[in-house]
Amino acid sequence: MSFWLELIATGLITGGIYAVVAIGLNLQYGLMRIMNIAHGEFLMLGAYFTWLAHTVLHVNPLLFLPIVAVILFLVGLGVYRLCFRRIARTAPTADIVEARSLLVSFGLMFVVQNAAYLVWGADLRGYSFLDESVAIGGARFSANRLVVLGFAVAASLALLAVLRFTLIGKAVRAMMQSPTGAQLVGIDTAVLHPTVFGVGLALAGVAGALLSMVYEISPAMGEPYTVTALIVITLGGLGSTLGALIGGFLLGVVEAFGMHFTSPSLKMLLSYGVFIAVLLARPKGLFAR
Amino acid sequence: MRTQHALVAMLALALAAAPWMLSDFMLSLVLTCLMYAGLTVTWAMFSGATNYLSLATAAFFGIGAYVTAWGFGTLPYAVVVPLGGVAAAVFAALIGAAVLHLRGAYFAVLTFGLGELVRHAITYFEKSYAHTVGRVIADPPESTTVYLTVLAVAATSVWACVAVRRSRFGLALAGIGADEERAQTLGVNTRRTKIAGFALSAFFAGALGAAMAVRWTYIEPNSVFNPFIGFQTVLIAMVGGAHTLIGPLVSSVVFSLLTEFLRLQFPYLFLILLGLVLILLVLYLPGGLASLWPVLRARIAAFGARLAAQEGGVRG
Repeated sequence: MSFWLELIATGLITGGIYAVVAIGLNLQYGLMRIMNIAHGEFLMLGAYFTWLAHTVLHVNPLLFLPIVAVILFLVGLGVYRLCFRRIARTAPTADIVEARSLLVSFGLMFVVQNAAYLVWGADLRGYSFLDESVAIGGARFSANRLVVLGFAVAASLALLAVLRFTLIGKAVRAMMQSPTGAQLVGIDTAVLHPTVFGVGLALAGVAGALLSMVYEISPAMGEPYTVTALIVITLGGLGSTLGALIGGFLLGVVEAFGMHFTSPSLKMLLSYGVFIAVLLARPKGLFAR
Repeated sequence: MRTQHALVAMLALALAAAPWMLSDFMLSLVLTCLMYAGLTVTWAMFSGATNYLSLATAAFFGIGAYVTAWGFGTLPYAVVVPLGGVAAAVFAALIGAAVLHLRGAYFAVLTFGLGELVRHAITYFEKSYAHTVGRVIADPPESTTVYLTVLAVAATSVWACVAVRRSRFGLALAGIGADEERAQTLGVNTRRTKIAGFALSAFFAGALGAAMAVRWTYIEPNSVFNPFIGFQTVLIAMVGGAHTLIGPLVSSVVFSLLTEFLRLQFPYLFLILLGLVLILLVLYLPGGLASLWPVLRARIAAFGARLAAQEGGVRG
């Protein structure tokens, strides 16, 4: 019994991180058609900021979470202003926005990743935080993992609540349904787009901060998370936030089981297998009606 | 037209004579140029024409290299190279069959992680079945042979691009890029065309990987599946203008030389710079430098006309 519990919990913990990363990416794609494949690099930045704050300034990483979110939100505003605003304005169709934003973020990925190599070097970094173990129902977990899971779920649910119950959330949903219609009823794209892009990066930063509490970090850590987030989005349906949340947990659990019964080095193959299977069977996502 | 043919023939002759004219260092520079020229031109043949962005060049290149790693020694070099191409093409056709009927975004996303995927798969395979991490290439062919082989593959890829552009197949690819539904209505089997185009461009990337692999004495997944190769290919094609043939050719020479000289000295700074170049280019010149050419030519013509008019005015 405790064995299964542990396995499921392991899956949910990685799944929680996947969900946070994927929701951020999905917001950007769903609202603006920006396919930001540099998303994982901002997760890496969040991880490095938290590591710096903890090792240099001795700040508690959990208290630092909101600060990371704010920093990356501001970074997001800057990146949107410099890179994506022009694409949104000049590209004639949504498909071209997609293609160009993909290429731009491909360049961005190399810029951010190599800047990190330049500043922090290629070594693995890490710190220990809350690593005593806790027993729940006969299974043992290290405390930091449970904290990570809790915060990942909280961040995702908070965002869902914002989207569902606030005026801004309503505006975002309206924009996703019909960009022109939303503008006709007075929703300001010039404010909403950078804000949502910033929120997406803030979520990536939070995910990175959470990851740094559990794993060692390196400048190359972001890329696999970008790929996984893209797979999660496909699972949940492009543009669907709830879908990304469920898809994230689902992929986490599938990976945990698959890796346990085959081999950890097959993780990537497993997620790609899931990805291709979903694309073949349900190209609009698992939950599409 | 005749001068063009003569120029191409002279260039081919000069390139073929290079091993006997140039020093080893210069020869390896030319080799890198040839490799990127082949990779870029065939990338642009598919992705430039159809607007389906493939970020999988590194994956195909690596597959080709691994065919060499496994086959070289038992099979001759001349067999291994096309075999590497075929392996990459088959892989591309399988992947393409799974996703190419979907929207372009899915395709780009899938190809983005493909290099990682193949790298992990090969690492796992080697560890659990062959009990090794990398492979040593014993007794590699002479550098002249390698050079001539790469030259042959690169020349074939340029020739293939020219042939494709002039064929119905090339028109179908360009039609898909312009408006896929319209192409379908006009009777193009878009799915089959896309898969064939993707596989063809993968064939050349794989063959180049197989041909270049003998230059490394030790092959391991981490060095062969280098994301930089894919990045550089996309960048070169975008700089040159992915819709043209000559643009990517010229810029592949420029960028290979830049890479050789700058990358070892400033590894990170250089990549940051290349990333910035790609961003600026997509933002301000999405058609690449080649899109400047018609504008420039029109300006020169206008300038010439004005001069002629002035002269006429003076005389009159």
